[in-house]
Amino acid sequence: MMVLITGACGGLGRAMASECARRGFALFLTDICELGLESIQQGLTRQYGVMVYTHVCDITNEQQVAAMFERISGMEQKPGMLLNIAGIDHEGGFAALPEDRIIDIVRLNIEATLRVTHAALTVRDRAKRFIIVNVSSLASLYPMPLKATYAASKRFLLDFSIALGQELKHENVSVMALCPGGLPTTDEALQGIAAQGLWGSLTTNGLGLVARRTISRALAGRRVYIPGLVNRMLSILGAFAPPALVARLLHRRWQHAQSQWLPSLQ
Amino acid sequence: MKTVVITGATSGIGFEAACAITAQGLRVIGVGRSAERCERAREALLSGMPEANVDFVCGDLSSQREVHAVADAILSLLGDEGLWVLISNAGGVRSWYTTTADGYEMQFALNHLAGFLLAHRLWPRLKQAGGRIILTGSNSHKMARMHWKDIMFQRRYSCLMAYKQSKLCNMLFAAELNRRQSAVKAYVVDPGLVNTDIGNKETSGLVDVFWKLRKRGGVDPEVPAQTYAFLCSRQPAPEGLYYHNCRPVAYSKRVNDAADAKRLFELSEQLCGVKFGGGEL
Repeated sequence: MMVLITGACGGLGRAMASECARRGFALFLTDICELGLESIQQGLTRQYGVMVYTHVCDITNEQQVAAMFERISGMEQKPGMLLNIAGIDHEGGFAALPEDRIIDIVRLNIEATLRVTHAALTVRDRAKRFIIVNVSSLASLYPMPLKATYAASKRFLLDFSIALGQELKHENVSVMALCPGGLPTTDEALQGIAAQGLWGSLTTNGLGLVARRTISRALAGRRVYIPGLVNRMLSILGAFAPPALVARLLHRRWQHAQSQWLPSLQ
Repeated sequence: MKTVVITGATSGIGFEAACAITAQGLRVIGVGRSAERCERAREALLSGMPEANVDFVCGDLSSQREVHAVADAILSLLGDEGLWVLISNAGGVRSWYTTTADGYEMQFALNHLAGFLLAHRLWPRLKQAGGRIILTGSNSHKMARMHWKDIMFQRRYSCLMAYKQSKLCNMLFAAELNRRQSAVKAYVVDPGLVNTDIGNKETSGLVDVFWKLRKRGGVDPEVPAQTYAFLCSRQPAPEGLYYHNCRPVAYSKRVNDAADAKRLFELSEQLCGVKFGGGEL
């Protein structure tokens, strides 16, 4: 099987690509970063000896996505799995951030994900099963002050995934939303987790484990995967607690974490 | 003038080794990840010793692309001269499984593969000078074995096991180099417990707390720096593989496992996409 991965050079993208390669899947990796694609292609080829195709693409750009899928539709083997991993968040309050940075979040997390998903469904091999994994977030389960746009964009992906999965169930397509808490993907993320203290450690899950279970569960046709027991309990609590109360609690938590963390980034 | 390359030279053991070695009148080329910290370290070295011959090269050694770039920069600084010593000291600890740009587990890539690849790139110059390679090891290698089935700890990550294994890799690599050739002598230094920030940089929770407590009992980095200076200057080349406080000390029996050493050497060649020394070892 060939797996198409967006945002393949980021921390989560690399870990997912590595997990798929470990299982012997061929890979079609796309990212905006050309050097990063070269590195990960080289590393995975050397480590696992699998076929790795790469395509530099800004998935918020319509023409570039069209060109990429033209290449894919010309390939003998079509992707049987799509991992929509590309996504961003900009740290900072809504009013404090410039407007274009806010819009960027929606353009990548929502618009570009829809564009790639639609194109991948169009070129798919209809005789075979097709699996989609959208990276939502634990943040999708609550209204999140200071991450309002990001959390809402992830909520979109969660609801969209569940609905699309139902819609395409009889066409042999399954859709899963991955809702991780903190993921220790990069050195910056590790610092962010450290800044959240005990809370950060509790809601964080190992990347290797999350990658392995994500692929296993997606292959098993699951709809939602929330890694980690603490995170699953939080998600259940979140479903019953009044949103305004959750927002108040989370606001305090993020204010504290950001005051610890952000100055060290600058 | 003899040149010594030191990776991870902006702080901790690497910085103190750079001080001790420049004090011996050798030229030092330091390697560090952040340009700002490189500049600060260079200034600190020169303020104590204005006549010192010091350069810094900036690069993140966890990425193989940057290892190559660092090697290119070192080679151009060397001109046509040989390299007397490569001190492969850069290393780190990660609380969680993280991957490098190449998709390799961070500690394995940074603590072992980076030094392997840099040694390969600088090999002709080391041979030219009849030089030495010194790796920063750790006594924790004695509690490690090679996890061949999952060398990058992808399935079950343990920060300490990955660290110890990477330090066993340093030992196996040095032993294999000495087994294969005698033009360049390879050593591993056990710095002992040293008061540096290695366990606090990209870690959190238990590892961070544990290291903050533990490092208080450690010696200052000037102490192990003397062992590096000793191995750089002693003539003829000292016997032995593993040094602590300027003396050869005992190491794990697993280091003598020639099959493991050969397997690691070949795996490292494959993961770096090179034949070490052009396949002429």
